This record gives sequence, C-alpha cells and structure tokens, in this order.
Amino acid sequence: MTAALTIDGLTVDFGGFKAVDGFTTVVNEGELRVILGPNGAGKTTLMDLISGKTASTAGDVHLFGENITNRPEHIISRHGVGRKFQIPSVFRDLTVRQNLEVAASGDPGVFRNLRLHMAGEDRARVEDVIELTRLGPVLGTIAGELSHGQMQWLELGMLITQQAKVILLDEPTAGMTGAETFRTAEIINEMKGSHTILVVEHDMAFVREIAERITVMHMGKLLAEGPMERIETDPKVREAYLGSGGIH
Amino acid sequence: MTVQETSTNSGAVRRFERAADWAIYALFIAIVLGLPLVVDDVFWLNRIAKYLVFGMLGIAIALSWGYAGILNLGQGLFFGLGAYMTAMSLKLMSATSLQQGSDKPVPDFMLWNAEPGAVTDLCCINKGSFLWIPFQAQWFGLAMAIVVPLIVAFILSSSIFRLRVSGVYVAIITLALVLLVRLLIIDAQPITNGFNGLTDLGWLTISGFEFDPYMVETYYVVAGSLSVVLLLGRWLVSTRAGLILQSTRDDPTRARYLGYDVAAYQIFFFTISAGIAGFAGLLYVVAAEFASPSFMDIGFSISMVVWAAVGGRNSLIGACIGAILINTVEATASETEIFKEAWKLIIGGVFIFVVLYMPNGLAGIARDLVARIQRKRVDEGTQTATAAANRRQA
Ligand SMILES: Nc1ncnc2c1ncn2[C@@H]1O[C@H](COP(=O)(O)OP(=O)(O)OP(=O)(O)O)[C@@H](O)[C@H]1O
Ligand SMILES: [Mg+2]
Repeated sequence: MTAALTIDGLTVDFGGFKAVDGFTTVVNEGELRVILGPNGAGKTTLMDLISGKTASTAGDVHLFGENITNRPEHIISRHGVGRKFQIPSVFRDLTVRQNLEVAASGDPGVFRNLRLHMAGEDRARVEDVIELTRLGPVLGTIAGELSHGQMQWLELGMLITQQAKVILLDEPTAGMTGAETFRTAEIINEMKGSHTILVVEHDMAFVREIAERITVMHMGKLLAEGPMERIETDPKVREAYLGSGGIH
Repeated sequence: MTVQETSTNSGAVRRFERAADWAIYALFIAIVLGLPLVVDDVFWLNRIAKYLVFGMLGIAIALSWGYAGILNLGQGLFFGLGAYMTAMSLKLMSATSLQQGSDKPVPDFMLWNAEPGAVTDLCCINKGSFLWIPFQAQWFGLAMAIVVPLIVAFILSSSIFRLRVSGVYVAIITLALVLLVRLLIIDAQPITNGFNGLTDLGWLTISGFEFDPYMVETYYVVAGSLSVVLLLGRWLVSTRAGLILQSTRDDPTRARYLGYDVAAYQIFFFTISAGIAGFAGLLYVVAAEFASPSFMDIGFSISMVVWAAVGGRNSLIGACIGAILINTVEATASETEIFKEAWKLIIGGVFIFVVLYMPNGLAGIARDLVARIQRKRVDEGTQTATAAANRRQA
C-alpha cells in the first residue's frame, strides 16, 4: 500500500504552548481516517499545519513521498491537498456554477487562464460533481444565499472538482440536520477510494457511518489509533473524554 | 417545477442577460462614436473627449476595486505619470521649445530655472534635464505613458500583495504614494516646472497628421481608444482569470487552497488597471494640452472612486458611464455660481447615498431592471407552455 500522507513528529509551539506536539501518523492512499479528540485537542491546528496555514516548528509532512512541510498554501494545494474548513468557505458573491468552475483549475497560472473557456475535461468534471452533489437546481444561485447544508456540499464539490488527492475535512456535518448529515455521509462514502480523506468529526453516529480507522488526539498528541471497536473500549480514550462527557 | 425545467430557465435567463449586456455595450459605443454626427461644436466635442477620458479612469477603478476588491485611492498617480510622460514629448514638440536659441528643442521653463551661463541643451541646462533627452522622440513619450505606470504598479503591487497587505491598508499606502510623488514633482521645479505643470504643448502628430485638440479627429482618437479599452476590459473580466480574480476578492484563503497564487492575480490586474489609467493620462494631455501636479491631488483620486461607485463598481461600463455622467452634470451645473458652490456637497451626499443604499450603483439598477423584464418573459413563456399542455390534455 502507498502512503499518501506521512506526518512525522509534527509540532507547533505557540510561545510555549504546543497545540500539536510530536504528532506522528501515516494515512494510506484511498484510506478514510477519522480524527477524534475533545475540544482544543489540536485537530484543527493539525489541519492548519498540513495545509500550510500555520507553520510548524518541528517535524515534517510528506505527500506521496514529497516533502511539503511549511510550503505556501497554494503550493501544497497544487501538490494535491484539498481542505474543507470548519466554517463553510465558498465564494459567496459568485454563483454555484462559478464556484465549481473556479475549483476546476487545470492550470492555476494567470496567463494560462486568459481564455474564455475551460478545457473539456475540466468541464466534464464540473458536470460530474454537479450530479454527485445534486446542486443542479441551484447552479445559478449566488453561493452566499445557499442553505447551510448546500453550502457545505458545494465546498465538498469544489474539493472533488479540484481533484485533491488528500482531502482534509474539518467537522463537515457541524450544524446540519439529520437528513443533511445523512446526505453528507453519502457524498463522503462516494468519495472514498478515489480520494484519501482525513475527517475531524464529533458526531459519533456519522463517524460510525463512514469510519474505517480512527485516530484519537489529546492535548496535541496521538492518544490511540485503530478500528472503531477498539477505540470505543480503549481505557485511555475513555479517560481523555471524561472531562467532556465521553464519546457520544 | 422539475430540476430539468429550472436549469433550462436559468440557461435562458443567462442568455438573455448576456444579450442585454452586449446590447448596452454596443449602444454605448455607437453613441460615443456617433456623437460628432449630432454635436458639431468642436468645443463641446473637446469637452466630452475629456469626460470620456474620465470614463476610462472609471474602468480602471472598477477593474481594481470592483473585480479585484483592491481600493486604490492613488489611481491619480498612474494617470499623472501617463500625463507627464506624454506632456514631456509634446512639450519638446511645441514651437516655443524650438525658439530658445538652440538648434535642439529645450522647454522654456528650463531656461528660467537655469544657472547663469548654463548651456542651452537638454544634456546639461539643469541638473536632471538629461532625463528629457529620449522624449525628443514622440513615440518614446507615448510608450512611457503606459510603460512607466505599468512598471511602478508592478513594483508597488508586488511588494504589497506578496506581503498580503489588504483592505484599508492598500488604500492608505496608495494614497500616501500619490501624495509623495506629487511632492517630488513639485519639488523638481527645474525639470518639471513644479506647481505650474507642463503647458504650451505641441500637438500629437502621427505620420505627419497633427491632432489639433479642437478637431473631430482628436475626438475620434479618444472615443476609439475608450471603446477598445472597454471591450478589452470586458474580455479580460470574462476570461477564467477574471473569474478567478473575483474569487480571490470573495475569499482569498479559499482561492489559495484551490491552488491559486492570489498575489499573482492581484498584481496582474492591479498593474493592468494602472496601465489603463496611464493611457487615460496620455489621452487627457492630447485633448487638454497640459499636465499638472493637480492630477495627483488626493481629491482627484477620490473623485474617481466616487464616479465608479455611482456608476457601479462591479461593472466596467457602469463605472465608465458614471464618470462621464457626473462630469457632464458637474460641468453644466458649474455654469451657475450657486451650483458651483453646492456641487461638492451634492456629490458627497450622492456618494454616501450610493454606498449605503445602492452598492451596485447605476449598473445595479439596470441589472435589476433587465432581471425583472426577463422574469416576466419567462413567466409568460411558462404560462403559454402550461396552457398549451392543458389544451393538449383536454
Ligand atoms: N494561533 C494560535 N495561537 C495560540 N494558540 C492557538 C492558536 N491556534 C490554536 N491555538 C490553541 O490550540 C489549541 C488547539 O486548538 P484547535 O482549534 O486545534 O482544537 P480542536 O481540536 O480543533 O478543537 P475543537 O474540537 O473545539 O474544534 C486550543 O487550545 C487553541 O486555543
Ligand atoms: Mg477545530
């Protein structure tokens, strides 16, 4: 099996406080990995470090064998990392279709994009994603006017259009209704296999729906890693979650 | 309504909007180019030519403010640079520059500022006067009118956007810069004629033809240039790069995470916008026959932003028409003394009103109107279709 994402001893020191502290894990190609952890465990910060938003102070990150540690965000993205934010982040003044068209970045350079039309394969990809996310009826809608669920699906759709090889999802179901959560699980399950996915999630019903392997973080460190059944019964995990009411 | 229907309707809406958009461009260009057929007073044509130049500035502002989200409060810098570069060449072509007792042209003010006994020659009459030497070729001044703004804008924007400076800080930096350059120009009196600017210029001459500013041909040069810039700008914002630029305006972080080098897009469009402003400066000098440090007054740069806001900063043609309209109204109103006094107050009030209640300006109103007409058409279309279907069923 090929390692898609190799994180080795990753650390960030915010003036003495290590939000992520010597974190190490390997995510294989095509794997869907769930990251659990109580509030403030460092999950979002971990994604910031992988995607280049925050510079790490020690350790490194490799993507398919290539070192991407502390490169600028757009370079890391071009290597194949896509990211969904905790707060949905789409282009709010553009239409849904335009959002997807921007994401279909065959070539990101300015001069290469001085043309009116997208390449054929980019356009085909946009159509596929419209089908997958069922955004067809709202293509002409300004993204800022979408429902919360639709906005999240649009953001997911943009990551697929972008052809990200490794996708980081930070709480993709936060604030969703039951039906919306279910639909999101469907989309993520469809993405499985063709993408390597790293998901931070609190909703345990959702985690059971999608999870294969789980990594538990606590105070910036890796606490446990393994399949769902083992994690749920792990005494260390139970103890870490005591303060925040346990895994629910 | 089924999914299929909705998407066909939205397709029809988009086609209609695009058609309406092109119709407005075509109409505007037809009016601008056809105006001399109606107006035969060359003084008015000359006046309007100047307002068309301001319309070009509106396009430059809309491109950076509306499409890139970069509020440049120092656009006058690029306009001024374009104007001075052009005026330097035209100054050397004026009759007086040839009558200063040298066989080569020397601007009259350089003699007034010269040390006693200095040689009457651009090489050494004043400290720095050698900078004028290449401007003896008219094409050099015209080329520099665009190249210098491009270079200055490129250097400026590379430094600020690579450092991820944004929003109000960009506005402050550009504002400070235009003030600084204005002071430098005033200070360099011996080679710029300071406060007085460059006056008494020659005419633009292309293959022997002299463009007297009060000639219909000169009007056509300005109107034609505006049309070309408008269409090129329109093409630019319709390209994929234009769409990506708008995405960087909405959410630069998201754009970065899609692999775009946001700074590269900002630098490119900021620089193009400066080039357009420089070209406007060139045309202004051709039509108005002077260049002055007042082009770099803060008030002028802020006026440009007001024009674009009123016309609609998210629309190139809206901002362009806004600039032309406001200047035409201002000129007409200024002929009465009371209005002249009240004008600043009126325009200030209009600006505040637009910012608060009409963020898309006149172009926004036009767009809403088109959308309403289209909705009515679609509704009627659906009704006919439903009626037909009902009849078939019956
Ligand atoms: N730039 C920063 N400077 C200082 N401290 C920070 C910074 N960013 C994050 N932190 C701290 O790091 C810790 C981890 O935060 P993080 O957002 O990664 O947690 P999380 O696991 O995503 O939590 P949640 O489940 O609430 O989203 C928190 O205590 C937070 O306050
Ligand atoms: Mg978080």
